[in-house]
Amino acid sequence: MSPQERDELAAEYVLGTLEAREAEAARALMVGDAGFAALVAEWERRLAPLLALAPPEAPPPGLWARIEATLSGAAPARAGWRFPWPVFGLGASAVAAGLAAFILLRPPTPGPLMTVLLTSQDQSAFLVEAERGEIRLAAVNPRGVEAGRVMQLWALPQGATAPTSLGLVPESGRLSVTPRGIRPEPGMLIEITLEPPGGSPTGRPTGPILFIGRLAAARGS
Amino acid sequence: MSDAAGLLTRVARGDRAALHALYQLQSVRLFGVAMAILRDRDAAADALHDGFVKIARNAAQFDPARGAAEAWLGSVIRHAALDIARRRGREIPTDDAALGDTPVDAAQLDALATGEEQARLRECLARLPEKNRQGILLAFVHGLSHPQVAARLELPLGTVKAWIRRGLLALRECLA
Repeated sequence: MSPQERDELAAEYVLGTLEAREAEAARALMVGDAGFAALVAEWERRLAPLLALAPPEAPPPGLWARIEATLSGAAPARAGWRFPWPVFGLGASAVAAGLAAFILLRPPTPGPLMTVLLTSQDQSAFLVEAERGEIRLAAVNPRGVEAGRVMQLWALPQGATAPTSLGLVPESGRLSVTPRGIRPEPGMLIEITLEPPGGSPTGRPTGPILFIGRLAAARGS
Repeated sequence: MSDAAGLLTRVARGDRAALHALYQLQSVRLFGVAMAILRDRDAAADALHDGFVKIARNAAQFDPARGAAEAWLGSVIRHAALDIARRRGREIPTDDAALGDTPVDAAQLDALATGEEQARLRECLARLPEKNRQGILLAFVHGLSHPQVAARLELPLGTVKAWIRRGLLALRECLA
């Protein structure tokens, strides 16, 4: 990405016009790239005065109690919340796909990285492990997808703007791959999208994200 | 340092009472920010909930050197609201009757003239062509996607994308 493109991405992230997948990629970039995070902060500062254009309005009573309940670890009483799983550390596209991912924190490298992808729907739950450059995917409860579609596995390293295909997910739901050119590392996004037979014709995801999870840096066990 | 900045510093140390005080101080303004995007009280309450949980957990990321606490809080709530808007399928353009005939427009920019930074941004926005300015305001204040801005301004999608990008560049130059 050129400096110009980076600044445009930061600007459109702040403006809010990025789609879910792009916004998630921008957030991933902010975590691993201090220079990009600074560009975002600069745009937030430039446009912040526009916040004053929204007419103030009192929130419903009881909202503070709900916030406090969540922070205290009680089950969040969520109006209109459709997904029964808690969501950790994931952004819009994850929730948009109707899923939640539990990221298991492991001791620092060279230990394995791992993430478990679950959904609230009648779809497969996946276990993703990454170790020594190899990424292994296993469906915990293999279920098919709709006829005429396939699942494709992707990895998005931090700082990358487009995901790399790791291949099609077979019916067994099991896949091992050692991708060339990218190396599993904390912060890398792993996602599965629904694609036409044979996989995405463009080399980039074209269908909805079914699952997404982030390999996380360990904070001790 | 503003009251909000002082409270945020305490929130970063895990002070729950400071978070409550911050909520009392800022929630009316911030709920307005979420409502302008979501136009639905339940959804805006979800945005405020998600945002305040993030504020509690990420308060240490607030850096006074990079801007005001009010701006940081507004940004957290706005992105929480945008996430909910995306989750609800914002990419589908709609007539969006709830937006009515009164989205923010240039006339309301007078509300910006309350400080030096606000006045500068207002001047720079005023220099933009009308539709570039409208596109930026509809996106920032009301959370409209490119297709929704295009539908509202009755312009082709590609044109809207290009104009918004050009408008942001012009703003950056003007504010530099």
